Amino acid sequence: MRCLLTIIAFVLVTQTKAEEPFSVTNIPQPLLKSAYVVKRLEDQQFILQKDGEAVIRIHCAYTIMHENGDDYATFSEYYNKFREIRSVEGTLYDARGNVIRRMKKKDLQDLSAVNDINLIDDNRMKRFQFYHRSYPYTVEFEYEIKLNGTMFYPPWFPQSDERVSVQQSRFIFSCPDNQTFRYKAYQYEKEPVVVAEKGTKVYTWELNNYPAFLREPYAPAARRLTPIVLFGPVNFEMQNYRGTMQSWQDLGKFIYALKAGRDELPGNVKDRVHQLTDNIDTPQEKVRLLYEYMQQHTRYISIQLGIGGWQPFEAKYVADKKYGDCKALSNYMAALLKEAGIPSLYTVINAGRGRDELFEEFPSSQFNHAILCVPLQKDTMWLECTSQTTPAGYMGSFTGNRYALVVDENGGKLVRTPLYTIEDNTQSRNIKARLDQEATLQINAATLYTGIEQEEASGLIHHLSPQKVKEQLQQELDFPTFEVDQFSYQEHKGRIPAVQENLQITVSNYATITGKRLFILPNVMSRFYRKPLPDPTRKYPVELNTPSRYIDTVEIDIPVGYSIESAPKDTEIKTPFGLYRNKVVLKDNKLYYYRLQEQYTGTFPAGSYADLVKFYGDIYTADRARVVLVKAETPLKAF
Amino acid sequence: MIFNRSAILLLATLLCALPAFSQDAPKFKFGKVDAEEFQKKAYSVDSSANAVILSEVGISRFIGNNSGGFTLEFKVYRRAHILNKNGYGVADVTIPLYTGSQSEEKLINLRASTYNIENGKVVSTKLEKSSVFKDKINKYWAHQKFTLPNVREGSIIEYEYTIESPFLFNLQPWYFQGENPRLWSEYQVAIPQFFNYVTLKQGYHPFAVETTSTKNDNFTLSESRTAMATERYSFQASIAERRWAMKDVPALKEESFTSTLRNHISKIEFQLSEHRPPLEYRRIMGSWTDVMGELLKDEGIGQINGNNGWLGDAVDGAVGNTTDKLQRAKKIYAWVRDNLTCTNNYGYRTTQSMKEVLRKKNGNVADINLLLIAMLRKAGIAAEAVILSTRSHGYTYSMYPLLERFDYLIAAIGIGESVYYLDAADPSMGFGHLPYKCYNGHARVINADATPLEFSADSLTEKQLASVFIVNDSAGRLLGSVQKRAGYFESARLRRAVKEKGKESVFTDISRAAGAEMTFLEQSIDSLAQMEGPVDIKYKFNMPMGDEDLIYFNPLLDERFKDNPFKSAQRLYPVEMPFAMDQTYLLRIEVPKGYEVDEIPKQMVVKLNEDGDGVFEYRISQTDNAIALRCRLVISRTFFAPEEYETLREFFNLVVKKHSEQIVFKKKK
Repeated sequence: MRCLLTIIAFVLVTQTKAEEPFSVTNIPQPLLKSAYVVKRLEDQQFILQKDGEAVIRIHCAYTIMHENGDDYATFSEYYNKFREIRSVEGTLYDARGNVIRRMKKKDLQDLSAVNDINLIDDNRMKRFQFYHRSYPYTVEFEYEIKLNGTMFYPPWFPQSDERVSVQQSRFIFSCPDNQTFRYKAYQYEKEPVVVAEKGTKVYTWELNNYPAFLREPYAPAARRLTPIVLFGPVNFEMQNYRGTMQSWQDLGKFIYALKAGRDELPGNVKDRVHQLTDNIDTPQEKVRLLYEYMQQHTRYISIQLGIGGWQPFEAKYVADKKYGDCKALSNYMAALLKEAGIPSLYTVINAGRGRDELFEEFPSSQFNHAILCVPLQKDTMWLECTSQTTPAGYMGSFTGNRYALVVDENGGKLVRTPLYTIEDNTQSRNIKARLDQEATLQINAATLYTGIEQEEASGLIHHLSPQKVKEQLQQELDFPTFEVDQFSYQEHKGRIPAVQENLQITVSNYATITGKRLFILPNVMSRFYRKPLPDPTRKYPVELNTPSRYIDTVEIDIPVGYSIESAPKDTEIKTPFGLYRNKVVLKDNKLYYYRLQEQYTGTFPAGSYADLVKFYGDIYTADRARVVLVKAETPLKAF
Repeated sequence: MIFNRSAILLLATLLCALPAFSQDAPKFKFGKVDAEEFQKKAYSVDSSANAVILSEVGISRFIGNNSGGFTLEFKVYRRAHILNKNGYGVADVTIPLYTGSQSEEKLINLRASTYNIENGKVVSTKLEKSSVFKDKINKYWAHQKFTLPNVREGSIIEYEYTIESPFLFNLQPWYFQGENPRLWSEYQVAIPQFFNYVTLKQGYHPFAVETTSTKNDNFTLSESRTAMATERYSFQASIAERRWAMKDVPALKEESFTSTLRNHISKIEFQLSEHRPPLEYRRIMGSWTDVMGELLKDEGIGQINGNNGWLGDAVDGAVGNTTDKLQRAKKIYAWVRDNLTCTNNYGYRTTQSMKEVLRKKNGNVADINLLLIAMLRKAGIAAEAVILSTRSHGYTYSMYPLLERFDYLIAAIGIGESVYYLDAADPSMGFGHLPYKCYNGHARVINADATPLEFSADSLTEKQLASVFIVNDSAGRLLGSVQKRAGYFESARLRRAVKEKGKESVFTDISRAAGAEMTFLEQSIDSLAQMEGPVDIKYKFNMPMGDEDLIYFNPLLDERFKDNPFKSAQRLYPVEMPFAMDQTYLLRIEVPKGYEVDEIPKQMVVKLNEDGDGVFEYRISQTDNAIALRCRLVISRTFFAPEEYETLREFFNLVVKKHSEQIVFKKKK
């Protein structure tokens, strides 16, 4: 009997040998479609030990199908005062699931992870990569991270990238019985499985057999499309600060506590505030003067060390060094306003062009930036304190049109920052040009940019010397061979800032003149560059975010004797995505061209994507349509 | 450091000559800033500058230390005027320090201040010690970083520091040019007679001062031989005091078609060549053969010399049972290229043992190509290592064996009479091909003869041939068939694109560029896997004919220069193109049914210059029912002096113009 058992056991062992768990043959077919990476197994354990202490344990195995998935074969984790990497193990398997080799301790690199925009921070990073080039292959990692300070809990976001399919991913949250925590799931219907054992409770979320998705143009971000569960503390501890975080109000309280009492200004700065504002009547004007004073007397330098990642430097420090990061400068600005008797509110926000909205139903630290909110009687002014050049009150694409957490001694509140409309974001261009017999075009282009449309021009003139601006124009303008002869920019500061641009440009061979014909593009400088490709299997809705209006009038003097042989027809296209209109006229040796384009915002069903492609394609083509002029036939002269 | 004591005794005392100081040097003293200095809002050297370096002075000298050797002391002083917000960058300072196995460079005597005018008076703010941060980059390098306090528009900043270095090879170079213009940039180097350094100068800006004088000085060294006894040496030696200064140096300017600004920046560098009496004579910088002899014995590079029995399995695995030498070489090359990952594209020295490279399947260029050489040798193929400097790293001198000038290592193999150069670190290169970044002139074989080689960009021609046939089909449309043979480097780019984004992406790009009315069919790419040769792209397209009276047709389709690649009107530096080019475009189009030719572009042949370094031909002819075009563009030289720039730009202007011309078909009445 005993003998028989051994034989059976032996047979079992050899059978499993033939079928290694990480063999690619075990991947269900649908998961291979469009996938660069298959997550074979992913266990993320978050073990909350007590407020202020937690351990993250990761065990994952990823099969890399294509070299574009190689990033997933890399172990890369940052560490700092609040986060230590305790152990790392890695194994590489071939397609059949046999071990090729294991990571050695000494192969783990230790690197500085100081962010480019920071002068200094205390992040470092451990990194290791299997450099395997025969696809598919599988990597397995097991590691543990200790958190000292638990203001943030990591989210579970198993499909954050396109072309990643998930065979199995789990998030396991465990904590002592008496501990509480919060979670909220998006794009995920199921409730977690809860198990209680010996003084701890364990929650498990799980995702199985999820095929890869493909990113689509004008689609919402991945975190709005695939399952994600957010976690957050009820009570937390960070260095010596304790707080609760059940609501936005709670989080605001903590942020307020970190900065409380740090707004003392030195005497000379106080005097300066009074000199500047005591004789000014309106609070708006006071804010503007102090904001400009702050812009002239400070600059943005980012230093993030320890709790300094969350706590602003004192106003005194900024007054003394004349620099600070977003938190320090906003806090300093608040101190200046306070001295002038104007209350303001410290505000945290998720900054960045086109940043996705935060998850407003789940209070947690979803922010990367600090600004200042100044509630005034008629309206509220918002101040971006890290910019040396932004007009007072302008948020623009960096922080406009989104939720921000405004804090005071009572806690925090979500408030929306200003929205910029189609009336605010405009580009109006007026071109007067002259084409000579050699097909050289002399252009005078006057353009007024406003709102979000002026941000690029504003950046150009504020961050580059005139010499560099010229080089930039010489590189960027879309003409075959040309020279920027003169250029000038004027800025109009205001709540909706504007930049007036005047260019004089000489373009060689702008038109093509053959024997009797003249080919010319009447749209000289405003050609739409987007040309999305059709996608019959479009899955996700279409999102258009920034409204804008572009107006062009062009007048070109052309050599005498030509008449129109062929010209594009007048166009007018009206769609929910926008409006387009153009028109060409030849009159008295002058070619006139008018163009209007409006871009609307909104979220549209996936099915409307084909219409968007057609709309953009039509604009693209219309903007490149030539006018062909022909010279009246002159009788042949006899030789 | 070993001393030749008798030489010390024999030292004669030399009289020192007083250095002749130029009157141009600004006399700045640390901490003394006059209110007048703030008056200037712009400087004539560059009226649009954001910040101007008013003065910078570097001083390098040697001092005896207490470990029996010499320490290099590099002292830097800099004063700058910040004119506007975009000049704030000069107030952020990073000082890199090197750490060796036993000793490291130290930063001492750092002080820095910002000066502003407040109520008509100069007010200074000092940098505090606590505001200096250290960032450890890796095992060898740490950065000391600081930013000056109280900086505003109009501030003057000033800082000085000293780096003490035990590394005699690290006599610091000096850059007289940088991102901001300089009114005065000066470097003083005092080299004792017992060290000889080769001095290398480059750049176009003239020196305002260039002097050498000698003086005598005392050197004292001490060394603890045992816990109790310390030996002290003291001696006098003659010192050459050299001084270089430049005045009103404009800022560096980026230009396209420059392989690297390193070839053009005004700078001075040093290379230790020998130790001389009273030190024991020692040649440090040898001849090319010495240097290559050393490299052959180098711990890393030397690994190719052994028997490397452990490589046997890997070699057998790669070649299988192939016996032909060339085929064996090709298989080994492909195996290394396809199985190892290059993690650092630069370096001629190894970063790890060859066994580790094979185990971990990654390394820098040298690691990978040395493994390739070792494997080739194991397979009985004569292979040697060649070092060179890539284009972005700058030129090397064939005269001086300066290894710092090199940053790349490739393999050279001989099979029969043929020599092949191989680079397995670039996954897109075929056997016998090098990436064009390697074509940067002088290179050297690491062998006993230190054989010099020349990789000239002129010797590379990117040859492209496209032919298009368009006929009327039975459905009343035009049917086109396109065949395009890409140049070798364009082929490499296409192979990379296909690998990354798939074959479709190549055709997506083509159809995106074409008009919406065109439909594409029978698309194929050949020779993707035959990496030694070019890639062929083939496809057909349909163009529906409307009912227009006139059809305007650009005979070059999308195969044309739409913009002049030479954008700016002026040029400071020479144009350096990566390769010569030879593009031929052939077209034959049937006149669309029901139409006749109304107008065709004129013939044209233009030469770039009298030497014929470039030719553009546009030959078009018309028969009864068809038009044929042959359009060819040849640029056979890759280097053009700034004086030739205008001609080059004008030549391309003509090309762009001619490429835009149209054929006009008219409906038959």
